[in-house]
Formats: sequence, C-alpha cells, structure tokens
Amino acid sequence: MINVKNLVKDFSLNKKQRKEMGDKYKDSKILRAVDDVNFECKPGRIFGLLGPNGAGKTTTLRMIATMLKPTSGEITVAGYDSIEEGQEVRGQIGFMTGQTALYDRLTPTEMVKYIADLHEMDNKDFNARKDYLFDLLDMKSFADRRIARLSTGMKQKTSIARTIIHNPQVMIFDEPTSGLDVMTSRAIVNLIRSCQQEGKTVIFSTHRMGEVNQLCDDIAIIYNGKLFYNNTLDQFKSEMTQPTFEEEFIYRVGEA
Amino acid sequence: MKFLIIAKKEFIDISRDRRTLFMMLAVPLLLMPVLIGTMLKITSSQAEKASEKQLKVAFIGKEYAPNLYQAFSDLDKLIILDQIPVDSVKSYIQSEYLDAAINISSDYQANIKSDSQAKIQIQYKGTDSFGAAKERINFVLDQYEKDIIEARMNRLKLKPSVVKAFNIQFDDMASKQEKFGKMAGGWLPYIFILFGFMGAMYPALDLGSGEKERGTLETILSSPASRLDVVLGKFIVIMSAAFLTAFIALAGILIGIQQISEIPPNLLELINDIFSLKIIALIMTLVFPVSAFFSAVLLGLSIYAKSFKEAQSIIAPLNIVIIFPAVIGTLPGIELNMITAMIPILNVSLASKDIIAGVMNPFYMTEVYLSLFGFAALSLFWCVRSFNKESTIFRN
Repeated sequence: MINVKNLVKDFSLNKKQRKEMGDKYKDSKILRAVDDVNFECKPGRIFGLLGPNGAGKTTTLRMIATMLKPTSGEITVAGYDSIEEGQEVRGQIGFMTGQTALYDRLTPTEMVKYIADLHEMDNKDFNARKDYLFDLLDMKSFADRRIARLSTGMKQKTSIARTIIHNPQVMIFDEPTSGLDVMTSRAIVNLIRSCQQEGKTVIFSTHRMGEVNQLCDDIAIIYNGKLFYNNTLDQFKSEMTQPTFEEEFIYRVGEA
Repeated sequence: MKFLIIAKKEFIDISRDRRTLFMMLAVPLLLMPVLIGTMLKITSSQAEKASEKQLKVAFIGKEYAPNLYQAFSDLDKLIILDQIPVDSVKSYIQSEYLDAAINISSDYQANIKSDSQAKIQIQYKGTDSFGAAKERINFVLDQYEKDIIEARMNRLKLKPSVVKAFNIQFDDMASKQEKFGKMAGGWLPYIFILFGFMGAMYPALDLGSGEKERGTLETILSSPASRLDVVLGKFIVIMSAAFLTAFIALAGILIGIQQISEIPPNLLELINDIFSLKIIALIMTLVFPVSAFFSAVLLGLSIYAKSFKEAQSIIAPLNIVIIFPAVIGTLPGIELNMITAMIPILNVSLASKDIIAGVMNPFYMTEVYLSLFGFAALSLFWCVRSFNKESTIFRN
C-alpha cells in the first residue's frame, strides 16, 4: 500500500536556472515540482502515473522511494512513514528505471547478492530466491559472466532479478520501458504483471499509452506538478471523448 | 554495518578495473625505478662523454707565456688551434666550433717576474654541459700557479703560513642520515603524495560520478543502506587505494634503488640504514590521514559532478594544487614550524623530511597529526553532507 497525502516538493532555483527557465521563473526562487498531490496505490493493483516530461512523475516516485524529501505532505509505504522511517520503507521497495543500472564488472550472481546483502537476506533465503528467479528468467547460463559482456536482454533480466531479489512488497517503476526495444519491454511488462498477481503494490510511470491500457488498474495524470485525474482505468475509458488513449491523454493535458 | 557490504562490493569492483589497477600497482612500482635509473644512466653517460671530449682551445699570446702554452699542449684530449683569427674567437665559441680561448696579456712575463699578478682571460660558453672546458683549463692554470707561488716563496724564504694565516677545520655535527634527509628527504614525500592522490583519483571518479552515469546511484539510494553507509563504504575503498598506491610508490623507489648500479655502494648502504621498517611505518602514519583527506575531497567532488567527464575536468586541476605545497616542502630553508605544521600536504612533506633525517620535534609532529586528522575529518564531514544534499546527488 502506498498513501500519498498533500505532497509538495519545491526545488530552489539558482540565478542560472532561473535564466534558463524563461520569463515564468524570472522572479521565482523556487520551482514547485509537485503541488498538493494525493493518491493511493493498493496491493494487487497496478497504479499508472502518467504525464509528459517534466510533469513531476520522477520527483514523486523518488519521494516515495525516500531518495528525495518532501517539502510538505505525507507518504506511507507498507505502513511506514517515508520521512521518519526511511530505512524501513527502503526495505519494502523494489525500484526500477529505464536504465539497467548494473555494475559492469560484477556478475549477475554478485549483483543480486550485493542487493540481497543490503536487504540483510540470510544466505539460505537468498540462495532459494536466487535459484527461483534465475530459473524463471532463464539466467543460469550467464549467471557468472561479467555483466559488461552480456547482451541487452541478459542485462535486462539481471536488472529485473536485482530489483525483486528481496521479494519487495511495493514495486516502483520509473518509465521502465523507456528506450527499450519491444522484446526487452515485454520482459518488463511481464514482470509488472507478475508482481500484481503476487499481490504486490505496483506504481509505474510511463509515456506509452499502450502499456497503460494493457496493465493499469488505476491511473493518475500529473501535469505541471498537479494531479488532475485520479481514478480507475475503467472509469477513464468510460469518460473518454477522443477515439484513442493517446489522443484522450493529449486532450486532457491540453485542457489542464 | 552496511557500509562494509558496500566497501566489499566496491573492492571487488575496482580490483577488476584494469585502469585503476594499472595506476595503483604498475605505475608506482615500475615508473619511479625506471625513471630514477634512466635519469642516473643518462647523467653519468653525459658526464663521461664530457670528460672524454677533446677540447678545442685557442691560445692567444703564446709568445708571452711559452711555458704555459707548452703545459696546455702537453695535455691529453685538448687541441690548441693556432690559426684562429683573434677577432673571430668570440663568434667561434658562440657557435661551439671552439670550446674556449685563453688570452695572455702582453705584460704577462713582466708581472710574473716582478711578483705581481698576471692577467689571464678565459672565454668559454657557460651552457657547455658539465662546464668541462672551464674545469679542465682551470685545473692546468691552478697547477701552474701553485708552481709559480712556490718558487716565489722559496726565493723570498717565506713559510706557507705567511699567506695562509688560518688552518680552518670544519667539523660537521650533522649525521649522514640528517644530511641525506635534508637533501633528498623532501623529494620522497613529493613522490608518494602525488601517487597517493593519483591512486585515489580513479576510484573516486568511478565510485562517485561513475555511479551517476551508470544509473546505479538510484539502486543504492533506494536500498536500506543509509547515505552515511554509502559514503563510508566508498570512502574506505578510495582511501585504501590511495594508501596502497602511496605505499607501493615508496616501496617501488626503495626496491628500484637497489637495482640501480650507478648508485655508489656507500650511499646505498646509507639509504638501506635509513629506511628501516620503523621509518617506513612512521612515514605511512602520515600517509594514512592524508589519504583520507584526498579520498573524502575527491569523492565529494566526484559525486557533485553530473558525469564522469565533468568529474575529470573538476579533479584534474587539483593535481597542481597538490603539487604546489609538496614542491614548497622540497625547497631548502622551509622547515616545520607552528604554521607550516598546520598546512596539509606541506606538513606531510616537511614531517617526512624530518623523519628521514631522524630529527623529529614531538611538538610539531603532534601538530602535524592533529592538523592531518582534523582536515581528514572535516573533508569527510563535507563529503557526507554533499551526499545528503539533493541538489548535489540529483544535480542535472
């Protein structure tokens, strides 16, 4: 379960940044990246956070993962307060972005062992979980090869394994398929779906409307830091005035 | 204890990086001995060449000093060129066709006979390697002058003490170790400080900005490890690399020296006596906090940079900042005092010089350690703060 209440995030702007961002921020020392955002992600459901570039998706997800501190508001993840109990929150989450985020000089086994050690998994649990995942993802043939020598597909599988090695209850995907080919994207889509089937809480941000239709139970649309739509996907579909998801999304963002 | 997990992973990671290993092991171990050996070989072969060289000399006014002319003619590896026009001598020496010219004044004989000073002018080129021409001409003239003075004193029935009133004996109380320490002791820390910095540089780049570039920073930041764990884990590895590189550089020099045949045996014996395990251990106690200082500063800067390339451009100029105080420490007359003992890097250089010379002042040494550990702690504190700053970690 993820609960986000009245979430606000301000970034201070220096002179150079104010100049780069144009007239709108000429006299403002602060950029409000997330503005009074509220939503709830439930276990066993996939929550899609949609929005164009710079809307505030990554900032929101980074605050949920405790990488950034909210300026105000509250976030609870699996019952833990993200500000007061950051370490406990991080113990419950798996975080994945579009980058494979692996260490080239380690092997897939060493990579997942490193993450498992940081999550204080004991050796028995680790070995069982590793064997299960490496079988599931068909990773055994390259488990002890340096990551630098692996193909993109193999790297993506390793990335998946390291994200879920500690069997997190909450999964955060920040544009996980961005820049990936169809085959590799499919592996990620399958992972998201299997997480849902295992009853995990899943939040993911994306640009791809096809994925939203394919995966999401609930969606929220964020633009300029503000959440202006938050409901089930079914409800969204029933309210559509445009012929396709993509057009409906563009239309709604334009209206916001 | 998560920092130990991070440190272990980083150790494995950098130990597989050929570039880091090359900088950490191969360069300090091989470069210094090869450099010292080559320098000594070139210097000695050039000196030998200069002493073997046949000098071409013009002797102007041989009719005024035939005996002196004869003394030069009898000399090996010296040819007197008689056909050089007097007004061309200067340009011949400048163009290095001639090595020197000896000019005897016309009143030479009169002055010698009247117990006066005879004027002899030597023209030579000061840039001539090893001053071979000047030295060899001077040697002949000295001998010749001694004979004249001796003849004069015998004739006047004077004892040598008439012209030499003092019999001065210089008794140097400095031990050979002190002299060596003051002379060469400054260069040794210069070398291992520089290597320590270089040893920390690559791991710091890789473990800081490299983490951002690979996108792995978010993986670590979203793990249960705290920011302090992350910094400490990385810091331990970078510091170990710096310390190890400095140690290997020092060991490389000492091992390399043994292999160089040009070093005189008595100097080699002195070096072996000075660099006992105790002295090496003492020097390494200075390297330890200075490695910590470098590592924290480099990691802090590296994590600030947006990319590996930016980190390189920020860190590379620091080499100059490091070299500057280290070189100051090698200058004569710069000693440990209340102020220099507080300046990091310079104090390592000066304290090492004193350790090698065997003349440590306990008060200044304490100040050096306090300053080094203080700066190391401050830089680590700054590094942890940088890691906790969102504007640094997610600077883009």
